[in-house]
Amino acid sequence: MNKNYIFLAALLIILAGGLLFLPEKNNQVQENPENLMWDIAQPTRYVTTDQVAKMIIEKDPLFQLVDVRQNYDYEYFSLPGAYNVPIDSLLTEISDIILDTDDINTILYSDDDIKADQAWVIAKRMGYNNIYVMKGGLNCWIRTIIQPEAPPETAPITDLELYEFRKGASLFFTGAAISVDTDNKQGLKITRKKKETVAEGGC
Amino acid sequence: MDLINLNIMGPLIPLGHIATGWDFVIALLIGIAFGFILEASGFSSSRNITGVFYGYNFVVLRVFMTAVVVAMIGLLYFNYMGWIDLNLVFVLPTYLNSMIAGSLIMGLGFVLGGFCPGTSYTAIAIGKIDAIVFTAGLFLGIFIFSEAFPLIEGFYNGGNLGSITMGEMFGVSNQIVAFSFVIIALIAFYVTWLIEKKVRRKITPYKFE
Repeated sequence: MNKNYIFLAALLIILAGGLLFLPEKNNQVQENPENLMWDIAQPTRYVTTDQVAKMIIEKDPLFQLVDVRQNYDYEYFSLPGAYNVPIDSLLTEISDIILDTDDINTILYSDDDIKADQAWVIAKRMGYNNIYVMKGGLNCWIRTIIQPEAPPETAPITDLELYEFRKGASLFFTGAAISVDTDNKQGLKITRKKKETVAEGGC
Repeated sequence: MDLINLNIMGPLIPLGHIATGWDFVIALLIGIAFGFILEASGFSSSRNITGVFYGYNFVVLRVFMTAVVVAMIGLLYFNYMGWIDLNLVFVLPTYLNSMIAGSLIMGLGFVLGGFCPGTSYTAIAIGKIDAIVFTAGLFLGIFIFSEAFPLIEGFYNGGNLGSITMGEMFGVSNQIVAFSFVIIALIAFYVTWLIEKKVRRKITPYKFE
């Protein structure tokens, strides 16, 4: 047999044998701590309950909701269309299926935003992108969307518009009776007509 | 730029070092290289390829097993050096039914036609008429398969084991799998060499120059 073959076979055995003595190594990439700190400090990682409500109502295809509370809480009450990934199963395969989406923004929420914040950090360290937290969580959701509080009459117009929107959203989510005494029963429509100027409509 | 912190790890596309739009360009380049090496290894000759079945030429087995062994060892060392994250490397899911049926059909086509899909194209590239006929049959087969797919879909998706590796299946580490595979490959090389010698009587071993 050719000497070269013997040499190459020996080389293969040595290289492969060397593998047996290599310690196991896991090269899983993690977010650089400096970047992570920077990201944590950014307010842009939060979305408000109003934004979430708007996205649900408008059936925005580019976002998904993830409830990080326990399964029984999720069964009891959750937002429409939300997935349930309890925070303690975040490191299992299920998160890979749900969170590993580059094109879709994922919004995490819990009762408040503490658990969701923790989940956010874990998900971020697992290398997932486009993850957001619903500010205030479900408590804030109830306070602002389901049972919105009327602003004082002296409040700026933006507050009143927001209130109109929230009342509409409340109707949308609770399916409450339509007999709510409101001037603007448009329900979901939040864009208000601009006030006509005096000059308009003339000849 | 701080070169010390320039810590690039593979796989390059999943980790975003290369934008996903480039994968077709890279696929084209790798495809050209693959075709070149197939042709250079003599795989555009049906005699070389079908020699495996008649026992006079095992070059196919040697080339592919060498490629597998080198890639296996290389990837594991790369993983150890931190140049690649093996967890992110794509593992083709295993569908037992279609793998077994597919390999039977492929082997039959191999021994009947004298080409596998890749080598038929390299043979076309050097102007072989039988390869053109073979490729026409290949497209006919693809057409029939696509049309008949609803009938065989259940069978096709059966026996799904997921993206499983040998190590996971047998519960041993990748290193042990690689080492055993090297031993198996070397034994296969030696045994096929013996068979070749018997079948061909006068074997002229390849000379390294």
